[in-house]
Amino acid sequence: MSEAPVSDQATHMSPDRSAMARLSGSITPGVTAGILVAVLMFMPYLLGGSWTFTLGLCFANSIGVLAVSLLVRYGGEVSIGHTFFTALGAYSVGVLDTRYGISLWASVPLALCLGVTLGLLFAWPSRNLHGIYLAVTTLALALAVPEMINNFDALTGGYEGLYVATPFIPGASMGLQRYYVALAMLVIVCFAVARLRLSRQGMALLLAKTHPAAADAFGTRRVWARISIMGISGGIGALCGATLAFSGSTVSPGGFTFWQAIFLLVGSVVSFYGLSLPRVLIGGAFVTLVPQLLSSSGAWIPVFYGLALLGMILLGHYMPRIRKAMARKSETA
Amino acid sequence: MTFWDSLIYDLFPLMWSGMITGCLYALGALGLVMIFKCSKVVNFSHGNVAGLTAFLVYGLSSGVLMSLSWGAAVLVAMLAAVAIAFLIYSIISPLVFESDLTSTIATLGFGLIAQGVTLLMFGADIVALDLPIPRFAFSVLGLLVTGYDLTVLAVAIVTIGALFIVIDYTKLGIAFRAISENPFAAEVCGLNLKSVHYFAWITAAILGVIGALLIVPTTFLSVTTVATFMLQAFAAAVIGGFASLPGALVGGVLIGVLMNLFTFYVSPEYSSTFLLGVILLALNIFPNGILQNVGGSRV
Repeated sequence: MSEAPVSDQATHMSPDRSAMARLSGSITPGVTAGILVAVLMFMPYLLGGSWTFTLGLCFANSIGVLAVSLLVRYGGEVSIGHTFFTALGAYSVGVLDTRYGISLWASVPLALCLGVTLGLLFAWPSRNLHGIYLAVTTLALALAVPEMINNFDALTGGYEGLYVATPFIPGASMGLQRYYVALAMLVIVCFAVARLRLSRQGMALLLAKTHPAAADAFGTRRVWARISIMGISGGIGALCGATLAFSGSTVSPGGFTFWQAIFLLVGSVVSFYGLSLPRVLIGGAFVTLVPQLLSSSGAWIPVFYGLALLGMILLGHYMPRIRKAMARKSETA
Repeated sequence: MTFWDSLIYDLFPLMWSGMITGCLYALGALGLVMIFKCSKVVNFSHGNVAGLTAFLVYGLSSGVLMSLSWGAAVLVAMLAAVAIAFLIYSIISPLVFESDLTSTIATLGFGLIAQGVTLLMFGADIVALDLPIPRFAFSVLGLLVTGYDLTVLAVAIVTIGALFIVIDYTKLGIAFRAISENPFAAEVCGLNLKSVHYFAWITAAILGVIGALLIVPTTFLSVTTVATFMLQAFAAAVIGGFASLPGALVGGVLIGVLMNLFTFYVSPEYSSTFLLGVILLALNIFPNGILQNVGGSRV
């Protein structure tokens, strides 16, 4: 049972093109993303301060959703412990900021390095095993995160958390900075992921997932592919955390609970494991807005998330069949 | 205190109580392994569903929902667990044959729903749920043995013994093993994969309820108790190789003892981190389970 690949139909739910691009064939995904970014650039001038803040958080969470989706798509593996990486990124920013007054210039690269390194480390033990071992490892990881944060309270500030106040660009309005840094980060990460898809390395990773034997023949070892995709995903997860810390202005254990980790996965499923900018924005918005909208009735949040998760999965399962049946019907008619 | 004194007063009692809780982890792990063995799905909803049924027992016997006797409440909760397992498997069964990754993610959805339903029905309060067992305690060689310990041990031995007898000697058990070994060949031979999957899911749910009811008296019952208890079960399953029932049993007892020693001698605050370490270490040292090198795999 070693080397048994996780079956990968899940990752081929639908082609990774935005719905808008499919509607009008001439518009490429790149153009859609460009228009979307242009619209989002002007949002702070149309919306109030609190909505600008919330949108910033949406962008940050979108990066986390992207990290989870990337792991599913390129690795065929599921992580329910990405809060470990977001916590890593967030506390890199928080600690450097509050202890040493160092801004994102230094803490983002640090977060990225930590995320990649620890991602590689955690993927290592299960490198030869069925994908579920990584899932179980990440489950333990997610449960261990709050414990670590609270016990290293000398560094992390315990329950109270840390407040991130050092500006990225000195002098500019802090509210706008929190928004635009998140947007820029999201665009950069999405662009990098889109480039990865076209790069040789990205192709090799996909090949190693879908046809391990062929990849072996071409010199890409499946083990390395699996470890490196977890590294990349961990790095992006840490960037999500760093952005969350800066845009959300506070870093506290409440943001990195076990449930938050599952919510990131739910966001990824809701966006159909999409890697394009519009898709991850949907996932990020879902993760950010649903708890806010349902905040008065807390117990409904898990129910709603669970139903959304199941609904999307069943939709992904039945939609192609229904579409096929419809097509057959229209052919005969 | 000399070394021998501490050995007798600390280590043996710790190992004994660790073994007792370990039996319960094993019950949880056996359920996970049964489901994984035949349907290749990791059931992340196991803990939350078991927690919900434990709450049902509490609600039905304490007067929150009804005031039945303890036995009747357990019976109703068992039926509920069976119904829930049936429902969950019915919904995800089309996914199971298509992608084990998708169906594993789907079980997380059921876990979320079970969690939410527990919160909606019983709130986030902590409640006490005890077992109707005689309270007595006696000491053997300096070891304090309580009625609770003996109950757990007896229930665990009977349940696990019955499970192994069913799997080893009945037709259903043979079908289960055949499907775990080679689902395609089993189907060609005329076995109905789905009905055997149902058997595994329902048995796992019952094992989960038993485990949850027995673990709750040692702590208390809250929305998260049973779900966290299941992390230990997951760790036990990983140590046993996730596809071996005897391995899950050994893993459960091992985790119980290790956890007890760790919380006593090192720190009670890092228990999840410790489990994470154990899982990572176990994956490195015996990737195919602890029993792989010892005696080959049985079930």
